Amino acid sequence: MATIPHDHIELSLENSLDHCIKCNICTAACPVSAVTDLFPGPKYVGPQAQRFRKPGQPTPDESVDYCSGCRVCNEVCPTGVRVMELNTRAKAAIVEQNGVPLRTWLLGYQYLFGKLACGPLAPLANVGARNPLLRMLVERTVKIARNAPLPTFSTYSFRSWFKKRPKQQAAPTKKKQVVYFHGCSTEYYEPRVGQAAVEVLERNGFEVILAKQGCCGLPLLSNGAFKPARSHHEYNVEQLLPYAQQGIPIVGTSTSCTLTLKEEAPELLGMHETAVRLVSENTYDIFEFLRMLHQRGELNTNFKPLNRTMPYHAPCQLRAHNLGRPALDILELVPGLQLNESNAACCGLAGSYGYKAEKYQIAMDVGAGLFEFVRASGSDTAVCDSEICRWQIAHGSGLTMRHPIEILRQAYGDE
Amino acid sequence: MRDTVVIGAGLAGLMGALALADAGHRPLLLAKGQGATHWTSGTIDVWGAADGSLREAITGLVASNPQHPYARTGFASLEAAVARFRALTEAARYPYVGSFERNVLLPTALGALRPAAFFPATMAAGDMRLPGPVLLAGFHELRDFFPPLAAANLAAQGIDARGTYLNLPPIKRKLDFNTRSFAQLFDDPAFREDVGRQLRAARGDATRIGLPAVLGLKDPLAVVGHLQQLSGAQVFEIPTLPPSMPGVRLYTIFRDALVKAGARIQIGAEVLRGAAANGKLNAVFSAAAAREQEHHASTWLLATGGIAGGGVRTDYTGAVWETALGLPLRAPTGRGEWFAPRFLNEAGHPIYQAGIATNEQLRPLDESDTVVYKNVAIAGAALAGCDPIRERCYSGMALATGWHAGQLLAGANE
Ligand code: SF4
Ligand code: SF4
Repeated sequence: MATIPHDHIELSLENSLDHCIKCNICTAACPVSAVTDLFPGPKYVGPQAQRFRKPGQPTPDESVDYCSGCRVCNEVCPTGVRVMELNTRAKAAIVEQNGVPLRTWLLGYQYLFGKLACGPLAPLANVGARNPLLRMLVERTVKIARNAPLPTFSTYSFRSWFKKRPKQQAAPTKKKQVVYFHGCSTEYYEPRVGQAAVEVLERNGFEVILAKQGCCGLPLLSNGAFKPARSHHEYNVEQLLPYAQQGIPIVGTSTSCTLTLKEEAPELLGMHETAVRLVSENTYDIFEFLRMLHQRGELNTNFKPLNRTMPYHAPCQLRAHNLGRPALDILELVPGLQLNESNAACCGLAGSYGYKAEKYQIAMDVGAGLFEFVRASGSDTAVCDSEICRWQIAHGSGLTMRHPIEILRQAYGDE
Repeated sequence: MRDTVVIGAGLAGLMGALALADAGHRPLLLAKGQGATHWTSGTIDVWGAADGSLREAITGLVASNPQHPYARTGFASLEAAVARFRALTEAARYPYVGSFERNVLLPTALGALRPAAFFPATMAAGDMRLPGPVLLAGFHELRDFFPPLAAANLAAQGIDARGTYLNLPPIKRKLDFNTRSFAQLFDDPAFREDVGRQLRAARGDATRIGLPAVLGLKDPLAVVGHLQQLSGAQVFEIPTLPPSMPGVRLYTIFRDALVKAGARIQIGAEVLRGAAANGKLNAVFSAAAAREQEHHASTWLLATGGIAGGGVRTDYTGAVWETALGLPLRAPTGRGEWFAPRFLNEAGHPIYQAGIATNEQLRPLDESDTVVYKNVAIAGAALAGCDPIRERCYSGMALATGWHAGQLLAGANE
């Protein structure tokens, strides 16, 4: 095999702009610039504006704030320009200049509301969160869109469920242990996703460890609030490192949390320490993990037939893992089950983007094609790996949304 | 989990994947980003230099140049590939027309004449060998498309052509335009009504009107029909600078057909290296978050393109390498040998012939003509022995070798 000379340009994320051949393929694929003129598109705000971004200089282009961070540009770029990363770092430079807006704090620390409202207070909190007057007030004051889809607080938290269940058998070897990273949404809103994940992992003979963990910090990171995002990541690395050092995989059901642990935080924040890298390299999306088991012939494929056809959307945060369609690869092993994939670039919400009053309509317009696709399927349920996308698709289409792990859990049937 | 993997999402890779899917396989297609479909015109160029019959030109080439990729497929495979390709696009209501009898001459966005063998029906009335005065029309808002300039160049070649700008019909959006935003606008009948009225007024004695190839993404044939009805002239599309809407349409047609047949397409996954043993490629590794993704398969199709497509790279030290698997290349040694004396040298520059040499079965060969991997086939511009852009065989050769390689691999798998 010929030796491959090292490409020094690719060593630097910001210098990847030098690979841009100005083909505009990204511009033609960007779901946001397709629906609004407030955003000229990835080529302009990314590699082009980047030439004018110099330390100490005023930012050349505020429209970068309208980039949703969906990474479709990175996906389609034929030369490997890291447009989304350029954009996010440019947002961070603006935040550095102007300070972190109150809204970013609220979106970034929404898990604190979860902490308060999840549990016995949930029914009351849910009524409050759906109160139109209150939402109007919030929109007026902090510009959080009053119609954006808020999830429902759960009456119990995932960790409380986990603690209460009968003690499972400890794994005979470390090889049969996994750490489950549930993320905020499973903890406060959708514990059923975590329950399904734990049960599927146990059906495959794993002992599931619930390590201490905090919010991955993505809402802060994607809004350019790099400083608080860094402390969130540092906390998680500290908690997860001991497991990573023992080679125990960290498996998550939230595609955005796992992406943040794997790549977003280390790359955007320039955190390249060994500890960060170890955690990153030991983190897996749950279906990526199950697919690896299957490749090794170790997946329990004792599935009962599920005679159903449902639409499936691969969220942009999953596609950014660059792993293909792990959930489809596994669920196609279930007899009778048929998932039809959407070709939509994005559901529109893109993390916290669609929660912002001025971006709510853009997000709905971006998602319109996807909503139409799932509605036209005739199914009452659709499947998507990412929680925020599930909320948005449910909001836009009226369908019931499920994480693919919930479907896989069904396929294992009762013990 | 998938028995065959195709690397590259240009026409060669897509056509190879289609051959595999037709044979009952469910290939996985990996690509670094969108392929050459998005940069190229969407016409099928078989052999630019052919004066008369393309059948004769290719048969002659096969006999005289046994190293050329067409010599690996033969005319029969080219013909079969084009037939399959036409059936695919026809089924998607985006038919291709043309023949192996002769090339037509289609205008470029600059008004040069470009030979092509097959082309979307939406470009058919643009054959400049046909009689009839031509009007070229465009919009100031669409950059890099200048109807008066293109028309002047056509006129200099003796063609009765005129160019004009149209007024952008009133629309909600106003800031920035590209080929995609125009294609979206043309999908809207109200927008077309306005453009059609303007075309009728501007038509004069023209019997044919050329517009940039942005006439819709959903049903371009219907858009052209509608504009013809409104303007009272024949309407044809002229390929634009990238992103090419005809190429995007083609990619979409392939994607939908492949996914329906059970294939999986993974764009954004650059193949970085392979792992082999005993002359067989066992795995490839693609770039992914945090660590590489490992893929296993029994057969592989490499269609990553040449210098222009990113399958072959060079650097200032004079190194030339194949990017995905590090396969041996046939390439001029040393930078001094890369280029011929003049920039527009008719014989072309040697470096553009850099590629992978193969045997009859399109299996890669090393310097001593030994097969490197017996379960890997090569297709498209990654192949040595041709200069596809200069020879104007880029897309024809991609279809022929992609189809042939896919069929060979499908046979090998049985
Ligand atoms: S797709 Fe990549 S190379 Fe093309 S314009 Fe966008 S960033 Fe540049
Ligand atoms: S990340 Fe998404 S919204 Fe931002 S520029 Fe890229 S494609 Fe457009």
